[in-house]
Amino acid sequence: MNSYTLVDSIQLAKKKFFRAPQWEFKLGVKILLGLLILYFLVLFLLFGMGLFHFIEKKLPGTDPILVLNQGLVYYFGTDLLIRYFFQATPVTDVKPLLTQPIRKSTVVKGVLLRSIPTIFNALPLVVLLPFCIVFSINKGANISIWSWFAGIIFLSIGVNFLIFMINKSKKFLLFFAFFFGIGIGLEKLIKLPLLSFFGKGLDALYQEGYWLGIPLLFLLWSVHTAYQFLKRQLYLDKGLGMKRGKLLGENLNLFDRWEEMGVFIKNDIRLILRNIRPRQVVLAGGLFLFYGVLFFSQDQYKEIPAIHILSGLFITGGFMLTFGQYVPAWESEYYNFLMCQNIPYKKYIKSKLYLIQFSVVLSTLLSLPYLIYGIDIMLNILATALFNFGLGGMITLFSGAFNTTPLKLNVKAKAFENTQNFSFTQLLFVLPKLLLPLVVFYIPYYFYGYHAGIMGLVLTGLGGILFQNYLLNRIVKMYQFRKHQTLSAFNK
Amino acid sequence: MISVRDLTKKYSGKVVLDLPALDIPQGQRFGLVGNNGAGKTTFFNLILDLIQATTGQVKVNDIEVQKSEEWKSFTAAFIDETYLIGYLTVEEYYYFLGNLRGISKEEIQAWIQNFEPFFNGEILNQKKYLRDLSKGNQKKAGIVGALIGKPDVILLDEPFANLDPTTQIRLKTLIEEEAEKNGTTFLISSHDLTHITGVCDRIVLLEKGKIIQDIKTTSKTLNELEQYFSN
Repeated sequence: MNSYTLVDSIQLAKKKFFRAPQWEFKLGVKILLGLLILYFLVLFLLFGMGLFHFIEKKLPGTDPILVLNQGLVYYFGTDLLIRYFFQATPVTDVKPLLTQPIRKSTVVKGVLLRSIPTIFNALPLVVLLPFCIVFSINKGANISIWSWFAGIIFLSIGVNFLIFMINKSKKFLLFFAFFFGIGIGLEKLIKLPLLSFFGKGLDALYQEGYWLGIPLLFLLWSVHTAYQFLKRQLYLDKGLGMKRGKLLGENLNLFDRWEEMGVFIKNDIRLILRNIRPRQVVLAGGLFLFYGVLFFSQDQYKEIPAIHILSGLFITGGFMLTFGQYVPAWESEYYNFLMCQNIPYKKYIKSKLYLIQFSVVLSTLLSLPYLIYGIDIMLNILATALFNFGLGGMITLFSGAFNTTPLKLNVKAKAFENTQNFSFTQLLFVLPKLLLPLVVFYIPYYFYGYHAGIMGLVLTGLGGILFQNYLLNRIVKMYQFRKHQTLSAFNK
Repeated sequence: MISVRDLTKKYSGKVVLDLPALDIPQGQRFGLVGNNGAGKTTFFNLILDLIQATTGQVKVNDIEVQKSEEWKSFTAAFIDETYLIGYLTVEEYYYFLGNLRGISKEEIQAWIQNFEPFFNGEILNQKKYLRDLSKGNQKKAGIVGALIGKPDVILLDEPFANLDPTTQIRLKTLIEEEAEKNGTTFLISSHDLTHITGVCDRIVLLEKGKIIQDIKTTSKTLNELEQYFSN
């Protein structure tokens, strides 16, 4: 009865990968991603090694561990939050196994085991292990540092299993936000050390090794509860069933005045509201708004306008870059249907363009607070907004004609999974979206200075608006020309 | 209404469909039968210009589907559940189709009331997304969606599959009524020989992409077909 093992499960995953469309390319992406992860791994290793000396230097005479402990509550808080949003708990994958002669306990153990090797669990290990080694070398090896280390790892892996239970609960998120918010508030306002209790607990772990029992108990408890929980979920009307969605965006009648275009825009809004994947992508696009905080506040970037232009493009084009790049793959699930409806192609494309342009206007309005960095920054944002509005949206849609990877709408993307919908042609089209504005800025900038560069962007954007109709026709031609290729790719 | 000339489709050298000539007059209820891989869906996809023919042409109402898109204004199809938009409710989906086919929301609201018996109270006003309906109910919703705006040609792939017996019988009546009332041309493919001989006035039997039989339905047709398929 126990012939299904982890090896089988890995082999299935392997087949899934190599038999997916465009797997050769995805392999390339995976390798690149691997290198990227390796890079970060090394970075974190170095960070962990340097951390000890850094704290010693900045706060001489203190014990680095006690300093770290005060901050770790925030680390665990953020960790939990990031896991909540991005850690996939692939329970539905096991559906075909249920009717096979495999024990449920084996299936559940497989799911739990496969959840361990993730980035989220590797991070504390990669940072803290070198930290603890450096610590031991400098302060002499002792048991307390390692019991502290083990405690943190136990907690972190415990959280990993906790995610299975809280994954689907919005209540948990609210509770967590409430608790954490109150905690931070009280700590800052009336110095009530609520959150510091956690740090104190970690201190105890370090000072007296027998406290290690508590994280260990937490880990065992979370494994046990997750196991019991998942076992109960292995029914079609429980965790494996599709949850019925609540109806959102019912009343969008205000778009009716735009007739056919309004219909498409209504559909797109519903697509975003009612499906997991687009919601995730649009939220990610919203984060682009904060791009400027990173770069506008730093003095060292003052003399590099390219950084400012790129920031402006990201701030005003977040939705365009994230959501826009998957047009028309968003509709790959029913592209056959769309292609035999009496849909004027131009109106379809135009509705997408309107949506993108609307998002550019909205992001621009939301970016008004950047005025605190000065009028030149704001001019730069407005100019890049005009570029995105006039031309960027159109380039995005044009590149969509070459988008051939179908997309599942109502499935949560894993961390980094967005890269699977990434293709070389898409990469090529990122260039005009980001390089073209740099070129039209830098040429006048080189000869006539900053404001001339801004004018270059403005004029290009206006040109896009002026020739919108002509350009749209070209885009429509390209979509029509590629129709059958797109269809056959989406039907794979 | 539909005329096919020298139509072939090859996949890596292998012929999957080969129709030298086929004409389907207006108002005909045309049935397509054949085992898996006979080329039924390929034929439908060629009519809908979803795949490109290797040679030959399909004309719907004298419009060559590969050259012009005009056929879309009077042709409708329900092939499978990918012809639904999963995140819409049935009503929203119908308003969407109505809009594409020039029918107002109010007209749709009045018109769909006629289908209450067909829907059996499980489809309208459910406040459910189409993706959350059962397979059978999705099929019902899709078939009725194809009727919106009285298209001249309707293609249905396996319309009887997944339906309960009551609905299968109601669907037969529905197709007959639509064909008679509006002169709609129906192209129906099915594995269900009883139902397809019951509803279609002409049956074409495909095997490995070729027409084996082309018969006007009589009381003997069902027997003949069963005979053929049991060998």
